[in-house]
Amino acid sequence: MLAPEQIFNEEESHESSEESASFQQANLPRKTLPSPHPDRAPRSAKLAALHARLSLSKKIPLQILARTLVDPSADAHPQFNNANLAFVGASLLQYHTSEWIVTRYPRLPMGIVFSAMNGYAGGPALLRIARAWGVEAAAAPGEKVDPGYLQYSREKPTVLVHKWGYARAEVKELEKYKWRRGMSSRVIFDDPFGNTVSKEPKEPKDPKDPKEAAELEFRQTRDPDNSEIRDGDQNAHANFVRAVVGAVYLYCGSEAAKTFIKAFVLSRTLDISNLFSFRLPQRELTRLCDRENFDPPVARLLSETGRLSRTPVYVVGIYSGYDMLGEAAGSDLESAKIAASINALKSWYLYSPPNVSLPSDTFEEGAAPWEPAYIDMGEIIS
Amino acid sequence: METRQALRPLRILFHATLPVTHTPVFRSVASRRHQSTASRTKKMLKIPPHPDFLTPVSGQNHIIYNPPPSTASVYHTPFKFLPKSDPRRQANLSQLVRSSPDLHPSSRSATALPPLTRKTEARERKYNVTREQVEEMRELRAKDPMRWGVLNLAKKYDCSPVFIMMCCKASAEHKGREKERLEAIKARWGPIRTEARNEKKKRRVLLFQGAL
Repeated sequence: MLAPEQIFNEEESHESSEESASFQQANLPRKTLPSPHPDRAPRSAKLAALHARLSLSKKIPLQILARTLVDPSADAHPQFNNANLAFVGASLLQYHTSEWIVTRYPRLPMGIVFSAMNGYAGGPALLRIARAWGVEAAAAPGEKVDPGYLQYSREKPTVLVHKWGYARAEVKELEKYKWRRGMSSRVIFDDPFGNTVSKEPKEPKDPKDPKEAAELEFRQTRDPDNSEIRDGDQNAHANFVRAVVGAVYLYCGSEAAKTFIKAFVLSRTLDISNLFSFRLPQRELTRLCDRENFDPPVARLLSETGRLSRTPVYVVGIYSGYDMLGEAAGSDLESAKIAASINALKSWYLYSPPNVSLPSDTFEEGAAPWEPAYIDMGEIIS
Repeated sequence: METRQALRPLRILFHATLPVTHTPVFRSVASRRHQSTASRTKKMLKIPPHPDFLTPVSGQNHIIYNPPPSTASVYHTPFKFLPKSDPRRQANLSQLVRSSPDLHPSSRSATALPPLTRKTEARERKYNVTREQVEEMRELRAKDPMRWGVLNLAKKYDCSPVFIMMCCKASAEHKGREKERLEAIKARWGPIRTEARNEKKKRRVLLFQGAL
């Protein structure tokens, strides 16, 4: 097991490429390398295909692409694995994703921003991207494996990229006693997805725990093909994608990295309206109308059918004054009203200003001066 | 196909005179789906196309926009929710005039709006309960929770039941009693009703996620 602090430290035990070359020349018995030698990268058809498939620039050498495929669990040497590249890539990915979400949907509540971040740049999303790129994992990492395979060890846990988070002192109690964590403290202390950062590795999930079992069942129903994704697989694939972003940044510059992220990460469809879950939608809407000086919301019956039948349908609209804020159909008046309130709230939260420019657009030379983005007052407190 | 197009104007004429000549004597005939012979049935079921689909009098082609009925997308922000800086607000200022009843109180009456789902929807919020009354209702509730239930108190002080629940807290003893009563009722439920209630709970969870 490698502690995260050790990623960036040099390790003396690993032999450098020159040393290994001299060993080969002397024809002496030597220790096998933990990952394929970088010299083999230009001769790998898989790597060349991947390079072409991602339309990467010629400036990015195949050796670096080979290095992005080596996980720290396979090769602990920081000059041969992708930990450093993944770290750069992760910060770029998170910056561009968060900037994109916040300027595009300025009214989203913080919890939804966190889930949207996870949906675009989180581990599961990056795993899918890696699979879509056609990257396959090697059965076992080693010197003789083709460098075009993703090298990681299933036995050893891999290293999480979580340097940029504050490990809370009370993290153990948070997990053990399920202490409440406020949203604003998540913004300050936790990682970009709103999860706690802990120094110790997470304990393996206990299948006997009813909550874990329920989650596993939920995963299986949602995604029957991927029901057995282990965290190690996901982490290795995600780190590979991050490392490619980092390599693009290092060899082609920040603009190219931004274009790359836009093309492969932000272009994916994520229906943000599905991420919401409300507790008291009617009260929240009333609070919103009070805050914005709108008329109080009232439910009006737009149409109905089969009131006396077994399956009635009511279409209810929520009106504030003469304006309809949201409408929905339901099998009884109460649930139709709740659904309509939820739709009204979603249409408030999902407001998107037209022609938004991103702060990173001004990084270019000769870019237009920054026009301030729309900033909302904040979440509705009910 | 060409002949059909050509015959359309004729057909319009034919159908214009149809109601006069073919009005059935009995109303039930109109809802009948068949005639005595196959050819008559076929003839009866031959319905002229909707006027929108015919070539208009001007003879020009036109576009028909008739989307299937569905709820509006939540990504379509209502006019009222657009912030002042939004260019769509400036482009659509007529909406603003329409939406403020103070400007044109006479032009739009309340009758133009759909009816309320229930009468209590239009209830004004009245802050009529005083501090002393709140103390009083707490005393009443503590003294005899069976007689002074939430609904009775709401009726007495002319406020909503939610407000009573915000002010008063039932004693643990009363809560326990109510819970026991509910358990006794639940114990009488058979498997079908129990299952139905469970499903109702699941539906409610889905409803609040907007997934129903």
